[in-house]
Amino acid sequence: MQTPADASPASGKPRFNSDLSQVWIGIALIAITGFGPSLIGNSYWVHTFQLVNIYIAVSIFQNFLFVDAGQKSFGQGVILGLGAYVTAIFFGLHEYTFLVAAMFGLLAATLGGLLFALPALRVQYFHLGFVTLSAAIVFPQLLMSLDSWTNGINGILVKLPWWHEEWVFGLSPLTIAVALYPMLALGIHYGIRRSRLGRQMRVAAVSPEAARTLGIKPGVMRFLAFIIAAIGTGIAGILFLPTVGFVSPQGFNVELSFVFFFAVVVGGRGQMLGPIIGIWIVFILPNIALAAFVEYRLLIYGVLTLATVMLFPDGIVGSVERWRLKRGVSGRGEQSFRIDAFLEELKGKDGFEPTDEIAIELKGATKRFGAVVAVDHVDLKVRKGEIHGLIGANGSGKTSLLNVLSGLSRVNDGAFFINGRDATRLSADRIANLGLGRTFQTPRIFPMFSLWDNLKVGEDARTGKASPEIHALSKALEAEFAQDNAELLSHGQRRLAEVMRSMLKEAEIVLFDEPAAGLSSSERKNFAKLVRFLSRQLGKTVIIVEHDLDLVWNVADTITVMEQGAIVAAGDPQTIAHDPAVQHMFVGGRGA
Amino acid sequence: MLSEILIIVVRGIAIGSIFAMIAMSFNIVHGATGILNFAQGNMLVLGAFGAFFLANGAALGIWLPMLLVTGVIIAAVLAFQGWLTLIPLRSSVQQDSWIISTVAVSVIVGALIMIYQGPFAYNVKGPAPYFRVLGVRTPGAYGLAIGCMLFWFFAMRFFSRKTFIGLAISALSQDFDAARAAGLPVRRLQLIAFAISGLMIGTAGFLVAPVISVSADAGLRYVLNGFVAAVVGGIGSNLGTLIGGPLVGVVAMLTAYKIGGAYQDLASLLVLVGILMLRPQGLFGRTSARRV
Repeated sequence: MQTPADASPASGKPRFNSDLSQVWIGIALIAITGFGPSLIGNSYWVHTFQLVNIYIAVSIFQNFLFVDAGQKSFGQGVILGLGAYVTAIFFGLHEYTFLVAAMFGLLAATLGGLLFALPALRVQYFHLGFVTLSAAIVFPQLLMSLDSWTNGINGILVKLPWWHEEWVFGLSPLTIAVALYPMLALGIHYGIRRSRLGRQMRVAAVSPEAARTLGIKPGVMRFLAFIIAAIGTGIAGILFLPTVGFVSPQGFNVELSFVFFFAVVVGGRGQMLGPIIGIWIVFILPNIALAAFVEYRLLIYGVLTLATVMLFPDGIVGSVERWRLKRGVSGRGEQSFRIDAFLEELKGKDGFEPTDEIAIELKGATKRFGAVVAVDHVDLKVRKGEIHGLIGANGSGKTSLLNVLSGLSRVNDGAFFINGRDATRLSADRIANLGLGRTFQTPRIFPMFSLWDNLKVGEDARTGKASPEIHALSKALEAEFAQDNAELLSHGQRRLAEVMRSMLKEAEIVLFDEPAAGLSSSERKNFAKLVRFLSRQLGKTVIIVEHDLDLVWNVADTITVMEQGAIVAAGDPQTIAHDPAVQHMFVGGRGA
Repeated sequence: MLSEILIIVVRGIAIGSIFAMIAMSFNIVHGATGILNFAQGNMLVLGAFGAFFLANGAALGIWLPMLLVTGVIIAAVLAFQGWLTLIPLRSSVQQDSWIISTVAVSVIVGALIMIYQGPFAYNVKGPAPYFRVLGVRTPGAYGLAIGCMLFWFFAMRFFSRKTFIGLAISALSQDFDAARAAGLPVRRLQLIAFAISGLMIGTAGFLVAPVISVSADAGLRYVLNGFVAAVVGGIGSNLGTLIGGPLVGVVAMLTAYKIGGAYQDLASLLVLVGILMLRPQGLFGRTSARRV
C-alpha cells in the first residue's frame, strides 16, 4: 500500500517529460565545449569541437527524423555532403560570394531531402532505410565520377580567412556560429515537438492508421520531416566548409552517415540530449581518445551500437530517463483516469433525440479480399443522433464495415455517403475531417506522450472552433493529467481515454470497435453511460460494434445484424430480439 | 553489336541471379520474422571468403565438400545473428530494433574484413571452366550462379510445400499469432529460417566467388542490389526474384557498358525509387487483407 503522500498527484509529481531540462543541459554542454577551448586558447580542442558541434547539429535533425517522424535514414551524411560540396563548388571553383554559394548549397541539400522524401509519400519502414543507404553509397561514387564538376578525387580546397579571425576572448565568428547552431537546432527540435505538427508527426510515426482517422496524412508528415531535416542538415553542411576548409569524396562516404545514425541510437533515441552524448561517444571516442586505433573505428561504431541495442535499448540518456521515471512514478490505480467528474461538469444541452436526417448511408457496399467477400451488398442508413448497434458473429464483416466507413479500406462496389456527401472514394484523413472519429479494438495509446497529450491529439484533429463546454473540459483535463504516464492505464481506462480523444475532436459521428471487450462490469456501466451522454447530451451519432449483447440492447436505438458480410436483420431492439434471423444468437438465453 | 547485347544479357542475368539469391534469402527470413537482414551482403562475401581460404583453385574432389562446409558455417553464423537479433524483440515495445542491429552487424563484419584484409579484393579461382554462349566466352561461375539460383528456387518451393518445417514456416508468414497459438515452436522455426537463409547465401557466395568482388565494401552494394531485386519482384515472392534479380542485373550491366561502371549503383537506386513510387508491392506482391 502506498501512503497518501507518495501517491499525491498535485505537488511533487515528477514531470512526465524532461525534454525542456534536457534542452537546457544540452545548450550548457555545447556552450562549454564550443566556447571553452577558445577562452583558454587551446586551438586543438577549438578545432575538434567545431567539427563535433556540426556533427551534433546533424544528429539532432537525425534524431528528429528517426524518432519524431519514425524514418530510419542512413543517408544524412549525403545531405550534409550536398550542402558542403555544392557550396564549395560555387565558392571555390566558380568564385561566387560565400553567401550566394551557401544558398546553392542549401538548395542542393533540400533537393536531396526531397529525393528521400518522394518515396516516403508512398512507402515507409525498411524501404526508406534501403533507399537512403543506397544514396549514401552512390553519393561518393558520383562525386568521383562527375569530376568535371566536383574536381573528382582531388576534392576542393577553400580559403575563408574571415571566419577564423579572432574577435573577443579568442572567439572567431566560426566558433560562435558552430556553437550557436546546434543550440538553435535543439530549440527547433523542441519547438516542433511541442507544436501540433510535431504531435501529429509522432502519432503518424507510431500508428499510421490511427493518424489517418485523426485527419493526418502520414505520407505528408514523413515528407515534411525529411524536408525539415534536410534544411537543418544542409545548413550544417555550409558551416562544415569553413570549419574543415576542404571537401573530398572520401569525406562523405557511407561511414559518415552511420556515425549520425549510430550516435542517435547510442545516445538515446528521441531524447533531446541523446545526439550530444551520442556524438561524444561514437565520434570522439574512436577518433580522438583512441586515435592510435583509428582503423578500428568502424568496428567500434558497430560494436557500440549492437551492444546498445542488446543491453540498454533506450540508449544512455534514455536509460537514465527511464530510471528517473520509474523512481518517480506512482500509479494512481482507479483514480488514474476517471471521467465521470468531468462529464458532470459538462452538462451539455439536455434532450437530444435521434432525428430523421441521415448521417451515414451505404448503398450496395461490397468489400472483397481476394475470394472472401467481407462486406456483401450492404444497404444501411444511420440517423443523425442515434446510437446504432452493429452485431454479428466473428468474421461477419463488422470491423470491415467500420474500416470502409472510416476510409481505412475502400469498397470494391457500391457507394457510401456522410451527411449526404459522397465519401466512397475519400481517403481516411478526409473522412476524419468530415467529422468522423473512431476507436480501435486495441486502444491506440501513445507511450511517448503524457496522458494529457494523448487526449490532446484529438483536440489537434478538430476542424472547427472548440465549443465553450469542450474548451472548459480540455482545460480541466490538462490541469489533471498533464504529468501522468498513459502507459500505466488499465485496458478499460485506455478505452475511455480513446473515447475522450474523439470527444475533444468533437467528431459528429463516432465509431466504436468492440469497446466493451476486456472491460470490467463497472467499466461497462460507465461506458454505457458515456455513450448515452454522447448521444443524448451532445447530439453525436454513434455506431457501436459489440459482442456484449446486453450492452447493445441497453443503449442502442437501432440494431443491425450481420452474417457473412450481409445484413440479415435491422430495426429497433424489441423487434430485433424476436426476429427469427437472430434467435440463434441468444442460445442459452440473453445475458447468459 | 549483337555480341555486345549478348554479353550484356548473359552477364546481366548471371549477376542478377546473385541478386535473386540474396532476395530469396531475404524472403525466407522475412516471412518467418518480418526482418530484412541488412548484413546479408556481407554474408555473401563471407561465403566467397570460404571459397578463397578453403578451395581456391582446388580440384572438384575438395571443392565440392568445401562448398557444403562453407554453407554450414555461414548457416551457423546467421543462426547466431538471428538469435542475437531476436533477443530484444522478445519483450521490447520497439519491434524495429532489428533494423539497427542488422545494420550494426553489417558494419561489424565489413570492418572485420577490412582490418584483416585491407581495402583490396581477393581473386578466387573456381573449378568451372569458361564456356561459350552463342560464341561469347563466359566465365564458368556465371553458369554456376544461374544454376544455383534455379536450384535454390526449386529447393525452396519443395521445402515450403512438402516438408513439415517448411509448411510451419509458411504458416508463420501467414499469421504469427495463430501459428503460436497452434503450438508451433516459433523461436526455433525462426532460427531455422535464419540458418536456411545462411545456407543459401553461403553456398551462393562460395559458387560465385570468382566473379564477385571479395572485399570489405562489396557487401553493402550486394545487399542493396539484392533488396532492389526483392522489391521489383515483390517482397515475399520467390518467383518474383527470378524476374527481379536478372532485371536488376541487366540494368546494371547495361549501365556499365553504355554509361560507365561507376554509375551501376545509381542505376539500381533509380530502379528502386521508380518501383517504390509506381508499384510499391512489386510485380508479384500481394496486398494484405487486414491492418486494423
